[in-house]
Amino acid sequence: MSIEIRNVNKYFGTYHALRDVNLEFASGELTALLGPSGCGKTSLLRIIAGLEQPDSGQVLLHGEDSTDRHVRERRVGFVFQHYALFRHMTVAENVAFGLTVKPRSQRPSKQAIRKKVMELLDLVQLGFVADRYPNQLSGGQRQRIALARALAVEPKVLLLDEPFGALDASVRKELRRWLRRLHDEIHVTSVFVTHDQEEAMEVADRVVVMNKGVVEQVGTPDEIYDNPATPFVSRFLGSVNLFHGRIHNGWAHIGDLRQEAPAHANGSSGPAVAFLRPHEIDLSDQPEGSIGAATITSIRIVGPLLRLELEREGGEGLVEVELPRERYDARTLPIGRKVYIRPRQMRVFVEKNAS
Amino acid sequence: MASASAFTFKRPSVIPGFGITLGFALFYLSLIVLIPLSSTFLKSTELGWDGFWQTVTHPRVVASYRVSFGASLAAAAVNLFAGLLVAWVLVRYRFPGKRLIDALVDLPFALPTAVAGISLTALYAGNGWIGQYLEPLGLKVAFTPVGITVALIFIGLPFVVRSVQPVLQELEPELEEAAASLGASRFTTFRRVILPSLMPALLTGFALAFARGLGEYGSVIFIAGNMPMISEITPLLIITKLEQYDYAGATAIAVAMLLISFVLLLLINLLQWWSRKRHTE
Repeated sequence: MSIEIRNVNKYFGTYHALRDVNLEFASGELTALLGPSGCGKTSLLRIIAGLEQPDSGQVLLHGEDSTDRHVRERRVGFVFQHYALFRHMTVAENVAFGLTVKPRSQRPSKQAIRKKVMELLDLVQLGFVADRYPNQLSGGQRQRIALARALAVEPKVLLLDEPFGALDASVRKELRRWLRRLHDEIHVTSVFVTHDQEEAMEVADRVVVMNKGVVEQVGTPDEIYDNPATPFVSRFLGSVNLFHGRIHNGWAHIGDLRQEAPAHANGSSGPAVAFLRPHEIDLSDQPEGSIGAATITSIRIVGPLLRLELEREGGEGLVEVELPRERYDARTLPIGRKVYIRPRQMRVFVEKNAS
Repeated sequence: MASASAFTFKRPSVIPGFGITLGFALFYLSLIVLIPLSSTFLKSTELGWDGFWQTVTHPRVVASYRVSFGASLAAAAVNLFAGLLVAWVLVRYRFPGKRLIDALVDLPFALPTAVAGISLTALYAGNGWIGQYLEPLGLKVAFTPVGITVALIFIGLPFVVRSVQPVLQELEPELEEAAASLGASRFTTFRRVILPSLMPALLTGFALAFARGLGEYGSVIFIAGNMPMISEITPLLIITKLEQYDYAGATAIAVAMLLISFVLLLLINLLQWWSRKRHTE
């Protein structure tokens, strides 16, 4: 394990920002800390870096307890959302900074530093800006320079705090892919913080979903998407429809549908809630295998999809549905038509967790 | 015909009115600054070149330049450090009474300078609260150039604090965190990251404090003792000459002082321009 977090707690005043967090980050992996703002993900990252101290618990870097170590001695590379480049230095001086501040006995020669800087600038594909100043660069370029600067000291761990948060959408997308490729090249253990689930899914090997200071789920992107462990994860990873029902003797009763719920087979019964993503729903003319009937209230064509809103019968709320246009024809789904909601896949949670 | 001049003063902008604003600025500057100053120059020519030169190079006058410029530079230099420290404390830390201290900084601006002079003299005189402890140590403050410097430090402090404070406020703590994560010690971080960013503001504050020190009269004359050749400041000589109805002599010294100040301030400005250029270009 490259990074281990043990029972970390952090308070800001009376606010409990991190609650007993335990995590492990494997060597060479690229992990995303994902969650809404205020969930504690940035605090956790800063605690790993040593920019913040936990109130209790430990941080182990490569098996060594580093909780009381100063940032300076942890050998972590940190990349900030707003780049934090030194404005009065050229790009090359920025990248060289970590090398030039080493004690004289460990400091490489001028030529060695220059060579290393050029290598790093080539790695981030920005060799041609070496002699410019940071404010002559675009946001995306600045962030790549910040990354090169962090890598110059050969950190054991690379930490990125919302690295693409300040960039516009298209640059963000490009940099994501670029970061993924870069990581495949250099394989340094990396953790990045994001509130964008798409970003986490696309870039990371593993995703840690956090909410209100608690780790909700850890897994590969597809594990998390396909098998969300909690209602929060389910909701956070894209829009979902909620259907209320009951669990009884290992069976879930959601609307008119009765489905086996093996996870709740141990006799627990009570209110339950089912989560269905818009694209996990089929519409049918027949009531068999459906949750219930609904009326189409709106229909829009969005690229390859039909996006519908349905009003459930009995005033049980709205349902969002996305249907592929190859299989459904908008002309057969006029507004006001009655259809049956048939789930292709459904996750049921006992209601008390469904916060 | 087709070759429009490649160089234009005017650039298109959302707020028009280049002509009228420049016109007004020049008019105003002339009225308030240039015309009074040029009349000073004009008046001093009454002496003729030889008379002028003799007045401004008189040993007593030269000694006063030394006192004025020396004390102003020393005070500005002290304020450079003290002001940076005060600004740092006010920006970076939260503590009870912070607003009060923040307001206190401006006090030297508002206080009638004579009040400052009298209280400083009372404090630093041989029998004053502070003076009585310094005197046995062989440190005479009141009625020496050191006293002048103390008065000018008092007067000049707000200039450095108020020029550095807003810049420091905008300096993201992330820069320091970045430097620390790259292995820089606290001192290196300060020297290589924070100080260069504050340099233009520090120089501005230094220049303002220095200029204010040169022109300061009220607080200095009380504490200076005004001994010829030792603790006489140039503005005092000018006043003395005025009291003797030697207007031409007074303006001659004023002109000399103006020219030296102008050259020094220009140098500071150039330094500032150079350090700012390194920042942004």
